[in-house]
Amino acid sequence: MGRPKAWLPWFGKTMVEHVVDTLRPLVDEVIVVTSESLDLPSLDATVVRDAEPERGPLAGLRDGLSAATTARIFTTSTDAPWLRAAFVDELFSRGRACAPVAGGHVQVLSAVYTGEGAALAADLLDTGRSRPLDLLEALDYEAIEAASLASAGAGASAPWDGFNTPAAYLDAVRSVDPEARCEAELLGRAALRADEPVVSLPVGSLGDVLAALPAGADLVEGGRVARRHLVSLGGRDLVRDLALPIGPGERISVLDAQAGG
Amino acid sequence: MYGCHGRYLRIDLSAGIAEHVVIDPAISRALLGGVGLGTWLLAREAPVGVDPLAPEAPLVFAFSPLVGTGITTSAKFAVVAKSPLTGLVCDALASSHFAIAGKRMGVDAIVLVGACAEPSEWVAGRLRPTAWWGRSAEETGEGLSHAGSAAAIGIAGEHLVRYATISADGRHAGRGGLGAVMGAKKLKALVVAGDQETPVADPEALARRAADLRARAAGPATAKYRELGTVGNLLAFDRLGALPTRNFQASHFEGASRLAPERWGGERAHRRAACAHCTIGCEQRYASTHDRDRPIRIEYESQFALGSLCSVDDPDAVIEASAACDVLGLDTISAGGTLAFAMECRERGELEGGPRFGEDLVPWLDAIARRRDLGDRLAEGSRRLAKEIGGDALARAPQVKGLEMPGYEPRSLQTMALGLAVGTRGADHNRSGAYEADFSEEVDRLRGDARSVAAAVASEDRSALLDSLVLCKFVRGVFDDLEDEAAAILREVVGGSFDADDLRAIARRVVDLRKALNIREGWQPSDDGLPARFTDEPLTSGPAVGVRLPAERLAEMIRSYNRARDWEDDGHVPTERLAALERELGLRLQAG
Repeated sequence: MGRPKAWLPWFGKTMVEHVVDTLRPLVDEVIVVTSESLDLPSLDATVVRDAEPERGPLAGLRDGLSAATTARIFTTSTDAPWLRAAFVDELFSRGRACAPVAGGHVQVLSAVYTGEGAALAADLLDTGRSRPLDLLEALDYEAIEAASLASAGAGASAPWDGFNTPAAYLDAVRSVDPEARCEAELLGRAALRADEPVVSLPVGSLGDVLAALPAGADLVEGGRVARRHLVSLGGRDLVRDLALPIGPGERISVLDAQAGG
Repeated sequence: MYGCHGRYLRIDLSAGIAEHVVIDPAISRALLGGVGLGTWLLAREAPVGVDPLAPEAPLVFAFSPLVGTGITTSAKFAVVAKSPLTGLVCDALASSHFAIAGKRMGVDAIVLVGACAEPSEWVAGRLRPTAWWGRSAEETGEGLSHAGSAAAIGIAGEHLVRYATISADGRHAGRGGLGAVMGAKKLKALVVAGDQETPVADPEALARRAADLRARAAGPATAKYRELGTVGNLLAFDRLGALPTRNFQASHFEGASRLAPERWGGERAHRRAACAHCTIGCEQRYASTHDRDRPIRIEYESQFALGSLCSVDDPDAVIEASAACDVLGLDTISAGGTLAFAMECRERGELEGGPRFGEDLVPWLDAIARRRDLGDRLAEGSRRLAKEIGGDALARAPQVKGLEMPGYEPRSLQTMALGLAVGTRGADHNRSGAYEADFSEEVDRLRGDARSVAAAVASEDRSALLDSLVLCKFVRGVFDDLEDEAAAILREVVGGSFDADDLRAIARRVVDLRKALNIREGWQPSDDGLPARFTDEPLTSGPAVGVRLPAERLAEMIRSYNRARDWEDDGHVPTERLAALERELGLRLQAG
């Protein structure tokens, strides 16, 4: 993807904010498990740092479950644009550990675990097992065929569907709003060549966005942002990868690379 | 040795006499010129622990082997002395015909010691009373131009403002208050002229290289400076949450767009100019709408210091304040930093009658330059003012080692934070260009780490080399391999067998010498760091909201920096290295 999924924009929020805000009215507490190095936006949630990221997703699940104080815990990945309340409620209504099965795949990161899962996960890790499915099996979970879930929706908009490529993310955005737009602000020399300092453009890859700007060809060289320029995403990250997705409402700034005096 | 004269002119202002003093060729080869040679002369001539404003304190003007050649941007000189702001070594560079005329006197440097009995000027090899006291440096230079090229002080220097500049051709050796050192000597102007050529080792090869460099310096590597100048930084820094605002209380300024020249369109008269022997032409002059016939040079550092830092969003007001600093001979960064600090103190009820954020700065600048009323206290700089105010004011004074901070927010530029913290001159963007790494994918600018340390060391070394050659830093992007190409230039100018490793060794030697001299003059490990505001308070608005620079992280970066320099963990230069420098350079660097 080239950038943290948690920070991808999703119609006025970051993806992690979208997920937290969806869950917040449904549950007693929201716990976000993340890596030590990833900063997150301010969230109405408890943030837990993954203590052993090298041990895979089960270790992160263990840390999240350990922080939970409730009997049943719904889990989801960050890239869950189609997550909805009815789906979470429907899984909780089963009263036990459960997970949907779609296309023959158990959706282990869109599932309900139970409180004893933390200790069981630790035991599994100690015996060299690191798959979340091992934990679900240890909890004697209920596998639910997706087609039998009234709240699951259909096609590409299932609650467990995420995206693993920039194109998949942009397709998801466009499926919600085919006219979704981003902005590019031109600073420094780039501004001298433009009629307007801020340009509104359709969402797309960074390469698409730059190509649509005045003198866009000067901004790209060798499949990257030209070395005489910098591109900032939202004022924080500096990026050069033209494949990066630029999402709805997002603003990039095009700067001179020779910053400083 | 080609490219040098092998001697300096030592002027004793107390006695009104001058003498030539030989410089061993080994010293010129070891330190080149500019900052390297100037620091050596300061170490040699300064009594240990001398007060920067005492008559005995030397004031050095150092040229370099490249001055007078056709190499673009080489018409620069370094002024070196102990700073009245920091009490430590200070060097400031300026581009000017003064460098060329001074070297044509047949010397590699001029050292002023002693003090005049009355306001004076040094012209045509002798000291005489000056009629220019009370006038601007520009007027003085023009008035004395018949006799040569002048380095002069303005009214601020006469009044010993601790951040007064020395000016030549309208360009300032600006930082650290060297104008006050000259003012303490009651010397209004140093006028130089001569006709001695400096032979170079391979004039034909040098001419070819100079032509090639001129062509490259007119290309894309310098386009930003030529087309927009450093003022192009203002809006970019704002959008990255790196624009110091309201005395570093914020890193994003609502009025930034108003101050950005790329948003001015054609509404202001604009002119571009170049320093002596420069083919880049970065100087951008804009006129205030109140005086369209007088375009004023503006740089990013002036825009930030007299603009966002003081919450002034009227471009006319910033241009006019910048012009006032030029006329009065004030360093814009320290002037703006001290005023912004005073503004916050006033808001907090700590400085009755002080300036307010957003206020017209020109009357305050005039009061500072003349040490009138509260201006007398502001003329001491933010650190001294903070100590006078007491309480926790020092935590908010925007300075390191007493030198006011340039326009780089350390919390959102954490490689630069290290550069600012450890700089021998104090908070400094010219001796450390560590911000370059922050504006790249080389480091995480919001979370400094080992990569930041390596980048900061490399940047300091590169600056030490450029400042000793001397070349303008704006040509740095022209070189594919700075050390390699600079070695080739030196072979053609000086002769002998310079290679890239030699130049890396010279850069390290200059850095070590400056640190060693600072230690001799009283530096303490606690001097390296940032005011507590930067480690205690997160950024609270703008794109970098929530970003922190924890004290432990900064301390670890400083320790790692010291190790990378082969210094002790606390920053002291090991005794063996000091002894080696003393032997190599014939200096006394260890006190006692």
